[in-house]
Amino acid sequence: MEAAARGLVIGILICQIALSIVLAAVFLIRPSLTSAAGWKIVAFIALCVLPALCIVGGMNTHVQRSEQTQFCISCHVMTPYGQSLYVDDPSHIPAQHFQNHRVPPDMACYSCHGDYSIYGPLKDKVQGLKRIYIQYVSTPPNPITIPGGFKNAQCLHCHLGARGFEENQVHAAMIDSLKSNQTSCLTSGCHDTAHDVANLDHQKFWKAAQ
Amino acid sequence: MKPGEIGIRRFLQVSSALVIAGLLLEIVSLVWFHPLSFVLFAFVAVSLIALGILVYLVSLIFVVRPVTNHGNSRY
Repeated sequence: MEAAARGLVIGILICQIALSIVLAAVFLIRPSLTSAAGWKIVAFIALCVLPALCIVGGMNTHVQRSEQTQFCISCHVMTPYGQSLYVDDPSHIPAQHFQNHRVPPDMACYSCHGDYSIYGPLKDKVQGLKRIYIQYVSTPPNPITIPGGFKNAQCLHCHLGARGFEENQVHAAMIDSLKSNQTSCLTSGCHDTAHDVANLDHQKFWKAAQ
Repeated sequence: MKPGEIGIRRFLQVSSALVIAGLLLEIVSLVWFHPLSFVLFAFVAVSLIALGILVYLVSLIFVVRPVTNHGNSRY
C-alpha cells in the first residue's frame, strides 16, 4: 500500500511536469503569444510557478526516496549490508530489528542511521552526497565506517522510555552513561554484533514469506 | 516588430528551452531508481529549471518598454 501511494505521488508529479513541459513548449515555439495580456499570465504560470512547484515536488520525492532501504542498498558497496538484514541469528542487532519490524522494513537503514537532530535530515543528505562522491570518484573504505562512530542517540530515540528497556536493570544502572554516549550500546560488549559483513558467507539467512 | 519585443521573445525561448531541459531531466531522475538520480536532479535539473525561471524573471525586469506619456509601461 505504501509503495502504491508512493507510485501514485510520483505519477501525479510526472503529470504535473508533463503539463509544465507542454506549456513551456508553447512559448518556445510561439513566444509572440505573450503580446496578449492573458498569455502573459499563462507564461508566468508556465515558466515560473509550475517549474518552481516541480522543483519542490521533485525534491520532496527524492528526499523521501533516499530514506528507503532499497535506495540505500542500491549502491553496490552496500549490498552485503542489505544481505546482513536477513541473517538468521537474533544476536545480530540490525537483522533482529529488521526481521521483527522493530523498524519499518522499507526504511530500515534510515531508522537506525538517520540523524534525529533538528538539522539531521540536512546533515544526512550532505553525508549521502559525500558517500556518492567517494563511491564514484574516490575509493570506498573497507570496511565502511560511520564518521564519528555510531551514536547511542540513534538507539535511545526509540528505546528510551520503552518499558522493556527501562525495566532492564543493566540499562537502568548505566542510563546516564548511555545518554552521554560514554558507554556505547554497540562497542562496549553488550550489543556488539551489528552488520557482520565479513562473515556473511558462514551465516544462515531468513527468507520472508511472500 | 519592435526591438524590445524581439528581445523578450528571445528571452522567452531561452527560458522555455532551459525549463523544458530541466523538467525532462527531472522525469529521468524520478524514473531512475539509483543514488545518482538524486545528484542528477539536485545539481543538473534544478540548476537548469532555476536558470530558466531566472531568465524569464530577468526578461520581465529588463525588457520593458519605456514609460509612455500616458504612464503605461509594457514589454
